[in-house]
Amino acid sequence: MKTTLLSAASFLTLASLASPALAQTPTLTISVYGIAQDAYSEALYRPFEAQCGCTLVVETGNSSERLAKLEANAGAPVIDVAALADFNALEAAQAGLLQPIDTSKLSNYEAIYDFAKDPVGGAMAVGYTFYSTSIVYRSDLVSIESWKDLFQEGLAGRVALPNITTTQGPLAIYMIDKAEGGTTPDLAAGIAAIGEHRDDIVTFYERGSQVPQLLQQEEIAAAVVGRFGWANIAKLDLPVEWAEPVEGQTGGMNVLSIVKGTQNEELAHRFIDYWLSQEVQTKLAMGLVDSPVNAAVEVPEEIAEGLTYGAETAESIEFIAPQTMLDNRDAWVAAWNETVAR
Amino acid sequence: MFERRGIGLALMLPATVFIAFGFILPVLILLAGSVQVGGAWSLGHFVEFFSSPLNRDVFWRTFRLGLLVTGVSAVLGYAVALAIVDSSPSAKGRLVGLIVLPLMISPVARTYAWVVILGRTGFLNVALTGIGLTDEPIRILFTETAVFIGLIQLFFPLMVLPLVSALENLPADVVPAARVLGASWFTIFRKIILPLTREGLVVGGTLVFVGSLTAYVTPAILGGSRVLMLETLLYQRVAVANDYASASVIAVILIVMSIATSVLLKRLATARGER
Repeated sequence: MKTTLLSAASFLTLASLASPALAQTPTLTISVYGIAQDAYSEALYRPFEAQCGCTLVVETGNSSERLAKLEANAGAPVIDVAALADFNALEAAQAGLLQPIDTSKLSNYEAIYDFAKDPVGGAMAVGYTFYSTSIVYRSDLVSIESWKDLFQEGLAGRVALPNITTTQGPLAIYMIDKAEGGTTPDLAAGIAAIGEHRDDIVTFYERGSQVPQLLQQEEIAAAVVGRFGWANIAKLDLPVEWAEPVEGQTGGMNVLSIVKGTQNEELAHRFIDYWLSQEVQTKLAMGLVDSPVNAAVEVPEEIAEGLTYGAETAESIEFIAPQTMLDNRDAWVAAWNETVAR
Repeated sequence: MFERRGIGLALMLPATVFIAFGFILPVLILLAGSVQVGGAWSLGHFVEFFSSPLNRDVFWRTFRLGLLVTGVSAVLGYAVALAIVDSSPSAKGRLVGLIVLPLMISPVARTYAWVVILGRTGFLNVALTGIGLTDEPIRILFTETAVFIGLIQLFFPLMVLPLVSALENLPADVVPAARVLGASWFTIFRKIILPLTREGLVVGGTLVFVGSLTAYVTPAILGGSRVLMLETLLYQRVAVANDYASASVIAVILIVMSIATSVLLKRLATARGER
């Protein structure tokens, strides 16, 4: 009995001695997209931990889920740095969930493209990658010249579109609306066209990672996806092409933001700066994970083919302004629910 | 005596505190959130929820599929349970083992297996086109049929096991006696087996119905956003649309439906028993 009490007492003493030491190891909690976590770990997380002597805690999920979590924990933030879609970052900024980034602390700030420097205003976010959004299709079964071709006869029952609730959803509607001659911000023409063909669409996917699986199982022959998903699709042993429709391509930008009330402001700036560095951006580009916003990054042609690469490409993408997205998204969702989701 | 009672209460305290703070309190907060609009008590969120055609469709689909899965599970469940009870003791053990086995495999793995079976190039479509029943693959995945099949497979064991247990408790001579007296199989089932095994049916029915209402993974994977059910809609409302008001309305609807079903089935069983 005595021995047990003694060992318990010594254990408690040791534990109390050890805990301050543990508490001193700085920890940075980041919340990011779930894709390519192994590549991120190798190119970004582990080198950063070695450099800062800190521990990174990584949470994953999609941008909307993250925004919901930020709102739920607004009183006591559990995340320090969040990767968000640009319009989600604007929403978070307007809800007072973010704090401005001190760009003077980012040594790589000047190296990134202008469009990525302050995409939502007030220095609330900085772009870390951008992408184009288009159609991938089975070139042995159909050909895609226009966004309207998604509704061609040969594709009936073989198309997957992103759900309105995903980041890619509004982008797909935006381009279909344009192809259908839509001129109003309510995207009525696009939503009506999708509604008319709703039975020809196999599924409205929630996660981009579903698309390679659906293509492989030959469940679909075409889908609208973000370019960041292209690497995994191109790997499939199938004749799949990336369409360049006559109406053009849309796209989006993912940004990094610092959560308001973070206890790790310095470390958060350091982490963002490292993510924007030529070194990390090159590694992520070479792994076909993210298209770089750092203008100094150079990659071979075969790698560039898998990315949304270079200033010229960026200029050719029709980005939807984050504010436009925020102003209209609720109405788009309502119209979608009435016409398509039913 | 008092000392013993004191010890009993003390032992119950951790569990009581855990249930109170871990379950009852969050449910009450949830309930409160669904009946408050701008700080005042109101059923506004419920009215708003049911005024949307999409939400009404989702509600009825969930209810309809829950009933259908329960009904079909009950019919098939009786057949399987009767066969199990009727078999030799060693075969009985093996058959019950086969019924229980799927419960040991993750629902996610089981659901993905259905993706492979029901897909365009899946086993079912290959078989159908192979024997010439269809010219080209038919669409099963991302339809209500796929969700129905997935849910049946998921919850069927929960119907069979209580029925086997109830049938085993059936007095051994009642069925042979009825047969000697010339009763048909249908009459025996309706007038003897069904009333005497109703407790098992109630337990199985409640588990399957409530399980079907609250399942998330299977409808999400096999139905996707084309076949929204209340659970998948709840996830969308919270995680994607950030709309906690309608999410709490859905949660309350699910809780009420689950409790109501359980009470109703229990009442039906008791009423029949008293007659």
